[in-house]
Amino acid sequence: MNKTKGKVLNRYHVIFLAQSIMIGTGILSLPQKLSPMGYTQSFMPLLFGVIASLTLFAMVWLCSKFPNDDLFRMNEILLGKWLGKFINLLVIIQFIVFSAGIISNYMHLIQSTALQEQTITMPVLCFLLLLIYIVSGGIKSIARFCVMTFFITIGLVYFTRWAIEKGDPSHFLPLFNFTPKEFYEALKQGYFSILGYELILFYFPYIIDQKKAFRHSLIGIWISIALCFITTAISVMYYSEWQLKNVEFSVLNLFKAGEFTFIERIDIIGITLWVFLILSSVTAYVWCAKRGVDTLLKKKKQQSYQLYIIACIIFIIIKMPFSREFQEKLFMASNYVGYVLVIWPVFLILIYVIRKKQVQI
Amino acid sequence: MKNKRLCIISFLIVVLLAGCSKKELKVPLEDVGMVDSMAFDYIDEDQMRLTVAIPQYSPQAEKDTQIFSITTDLVSSGIVEIEKQSDKKVVFNQLRVVLVNEDFARKGNVRKIVQHLYRNAEVGNKVLIAVVKDNAEAILKGDYPDKPSITFYLNNLLEPSINTAFNPNTNIHDFMYSITNPVVDTVLPYVEKRGEKLEIKGVAIFKGNHMHELIKPEEALVIQALSGQKNLAPLHLDLNAGHGEEKVMIDLIESSVKKESNKNMESPKLTIFLKIKGTLSEYKGERESHLFTVESISDLEKDVNKQLEQDISEFLARLNKTEVDPAGLSEEFRMYHHGKWTSKKTRELIRKLDVNVHVETSIISTGTLK
Amino acid sequence: MNEIPEQIVAKLKQEINEVDDVKLKMIDTEEGDVTVIYFSSLIEKMTLQTMVTIPLANNLKQIHQMAQYVDPKDVQGVVKKLNAGQTLLFFHETNALLSIDTYSAPTRAITDTETESTVIGPQDAFTESLETNISLVRRRIQSSMLKNENRIVGSEANIKISIMYMDNIVSHENLDDLRNRIDQVDYPLFTDISVLKQLIEDNPLSPFPQYYMTVRPDSICRYLLDGRIVVFMDNSQLAIVCPTSFFEMFVSIEDYYNRWTTASLLRMLRFFGFFLTIMITPMYISALTFHPEILPYELLLNLQESRSKVPFPPLIEVLFIELIIEVLREAGSRMPAKVGQTIGIVGGIVIGTAAVEAGLLSNILIVLVATSALLSFLPPIFLMSNTSRFIRYIFILSAGLFGLFGQMLAFAWLIHHLLSLKSLGTHYMTPAIPRKPSDLLDSVMRFPTKYIRSKTGISKAQKK
Repeated sequence: MNKTKGKVLNRYHVIFLAQSIMIGTGILSLPQKLSPMGYTQSFMPLLFGVIASLTLFAMVWLCSKFPNDDLFRMNEILLGKWLGKFINLLVIIQFIVFSAGIISNYMHLIQSTALQEQTITMPVLCFLLLLIYIVSGGIKSIARFCVMTFFITIGLVYFTRWAIEKGDPSHFLPLFNFTPKEFYEALKQGYFSILGYELILFYFPYIIDQKKAFRHSLIGIWISIALCFITTAISVMYYSEWQLKNVEFSVLNLFKAGEFTFIERIDIIGITLWVFLILSSVTAYVWCAKRGVDTLLKKKKQQSYQLYIIACIIFIIIKMPFSREFQEKLFMASNYVGYVLVIWPVFLILIYVIRKKQVQI
Repeated sequence: MKNKRLCIISFLIVVLLAGCSKKELKVPLEDVGMVDSMAFDYIDEDQMRLTVAIPQYSPQAEKDTQIFSITTDLVSSGIVEIEKQSDKKVVFNQLRVVLVNEDFARKGNVRKIVQHLYRNAEVGNKVLIAVVKDNAEAILKGDYPDKPSITFYLNNLLEPSINTAFNPNTNIHDFMYSITNPVVDTVLPYVEKRGEKLEIKGVAIFKGNHMHELIKPEEALVIQALSGQKNLAPLHLDLNAGHGEEKVMIDLIESSVKKESNKNMESPKLTIFLKIKGTLSEYKGERESHLFTVESISDLEKDVNKQLEQDISEFLARLNKTEVDPAGLSEEFRMYHHGKWTSKKTRELIRKLDVNVHVETSIISTGTLK
Repeated sequence: MNEIPEQIVAKLKQEINEVDDVKLKMIDTEEGDVTVIYFSSLIEKMTLQTMVTIPLANNLKQIHQMAQYVDPKDVQGVVKKLNAGQTLLFFHETNALLSIDTYSAPTRAITDTETESTVIGPQDAFTESLETNISLVRRRIQSSMLKNENRIVGSEANIKISIMYMDNIVSHENLDDLRNRIDQVDYPLFTDISVLKQLIEDNPLSPFPQYYMTVRPDSICRYLLDGRIVVFMDNSQLAIVCPTSFFEMFVSIEDYYNRWTTASLLRMLRFFGFFLTIMITPMYISALTFHPEILPYELLLNLQESRSKVPFPPLIEVLFIELIIEVLREAGSRMPAKVGQTIGIVGGIVIGTAAVEAGLLSNILIVLVATSALLSFLPPIFLMSNTSRFIRYIFILSAGLFGLFGQMLAFAWLIHHLLSLKSLGTHYMTPAIPRKPSDLLDSVMRFPTKYIRSKTGISKAQKK
């Protein structure tokens, strides 16, 4: 259960938590997000990996100073009770909106490929039920689900075989053919495809071997980065620059390239199997949001009604009667707030260092 | 425990919802008309004639294919019109062949209709596109007494086969890829109806969004070879190298191509190394009686090399003059060019391009008979 | 009778009132009158003669050696002993109450196993007698470390169970856990050990069996030596093994007798067969209702033709035929063997062919349903094959709802459910997520026997 005494996550859990949370809907449209850079984009994921490693270092360093507290507690300790609570509220809202964004994105994709001419209300409801079921099992249950997800979905890489056969490796050349503006544009749009590793700020207290947490998370991150790299590299080989820019879900079309004798459309299998990846990342976010609500309300007793409320809010956000445009803007905004969360530990470290000096004096 | 409660709740919901799902009104498979082939004919700038073929399973029906034709300005509104005539719901899940007639390819906007299909998630990647002489509608409506149905016939005809290696087998992705890629010009197979048979007459080469010219299968084979196709067969050559007129047929060909550019945009030079390995399956001419020794074979190889080099150079020179690049030769220059590449650059480059062809043939056997 | 102290007689009489198979006999011996009390239904006449009556008459010394003294004031205890098939001797002169174990109820002989038969390997199976079962195990593991603890369960029926384990291998943590669970059980009647099993499972609501059950002594021995705990029950042919993993539900002991190549092949067949059987018919529904594009064209045209006469949507069609299969199976298993053959003919020919010709079902569906029905019988554990059939309905319904997406949601549910299940506190999904790398040597693939040495991770065996 959620409140298992002390530490529950072993090293495999840490590796695959970091790995599976990162892979969500982002990677589906990563080549399109990076398309301002044209064919040169294939090496961007590697750069992202470096940035991620650096920011991860900051996060783990901060966490190691507070081995038994998550970010919500840290905020309250470092920023004072009320400011901390306010920030925590923002973080919770951010997580809820972010999860809603992922789900909504995926569901619309499902609607346009696998479930044509159907409303998404019921699929979303069922998805949320499953989500609640998994999250109520606690972080360990999520971690175990992540491990399984990796092994179930890794087979999808094989489905890109046909695209590789057809692709043209000469597209990788010339290297570094971009202007700074294009680079900035791609960085801004593409980086949130790999967001997710920052959740270590929240599950760090549950890790058994906290000293090696950095190394294990790093392994997870680089597995994901390798997958992102494979995606962009194959996309670059397979598509023309126009297609990179205009095909929204490039991975889907990569799957379309192949066929078996008995199954002609692998993309449908692929996109429905993707629900595992979506579940593994959304459950982690929702779990964090629920933890946040717990700290905010100072609930000692384990109750699950918060979870139902969070699920309801997500449902309302997805089905809210606002225009699609507003929704898009909201999800976009939450993506950019995600960047803030990645930088946030650095800010906290500064405060920590300053305050420590104050205490010493 | 709440887990169990949840488990039960979700199970109940699944059961109850499965009952409710009726109102979503899914059309079952037997009430769906799956379009197999589409044909577009050019009428004028705004109008086109759209024909679709839907296979028919009912044994009572006299014909095995339902054909609907409509004059329309947009693809989707044409489909709506067709649905009015059809007893079934028209879907594109199993679309296999798109035909456009030559007029349409030359004057109409092929890219627009293919892009429309490419956008549609229902449509798979297996859609083959071909250009048709005269009237595409007539091909679908034609009578082919010895074939099971037009849809299978067309599909099988256009699918890759070793004896039609010159056929580029352009599917929907290839079409979109090449038409949006500035370094390559699109090629499509060109089909002609002859009485009760269909025939792939050659290959239509596009320049930009429109068809430019029709080339012969032998020349199309060169394009396939240069763009890296591994298996080419059969290769038919007429030699005339001091031994009178000779006819050579090489089978089971494995080819590999290597291109080297001088990376210079101002005076571009490209050297092409083409290696061909194959069996000499038929020969007709003066040397027939002494083609048993290694020496004579290697003599023949040299002649074949020379002939091929000459053919390819001539063909490329002709293409270069008209500024089209179906084999993607300008990719060799784009690879080393920093900055944006446009199709204008391709045209300029191709016009100035100086191609140098080296062919290396090796005949590995002459069949099982001595 | 008069000589027995009044209070004991009164109480005993009260207890055994209206029990007609209790016999009281007075026998005259060297040491005076002796009253013999026993249940005639639990004791064979021969045993009574050789153990009690003849020694009483000729050799009283032997009686004293064999018998135990019983406290006559503990009436409940005395009655329990009577119920357990012991014979009570009351010596009138010395006022002593003795008991001799003469339990010899008629039992079945050891026969071949019918439910888990194998081609290779020992053919003997457990019987309904606890003594026989324990002896079957003991003769295979001749070690003093093999312990068995007897306990009585069932608040009314007083059934004897025996917990067996290897003292030097078993995890005592697991053992204490199991003892606790058994102690907490409060249930009147156990007609079979499966009743007890359901009461001590970690998640009784789950459709999955969480302990392995078998009638094969060789299987039991293998698990005992791996550090598992085995529970036997008197009057129950099955024995349960705890803890067990999901994967072991697909392991047959014959795998260890076969060549490793064959065994691996069969295991893969069973394991993936489980996932196939729950996926095939739902796949049919999703492909026909939601994604006709995933099927090859020729097949699709065939399907269209065979479906054209069928009046219901695919979901109803599938549910209909699946239910018919269930009915056939159920009818077949309840019928006497001789009538059973007719079921096969009725089911196979009449329903199968006729339904297609009548246009109620498409013929491709018949093939799929038959395949998935066969696949569902692959797991060697019968309970697992029942589970797979139940799970399939969940998948069928969710496929009817959302097609492949629904199937994948259901699959995610299944995976999560399996992941969160535990068997005696250990995760059920080992070794799919291995607890030890060496577990992989004996999982979906069975490696050559010489590599399979270490204990599995799930048993948490003691380290030596």
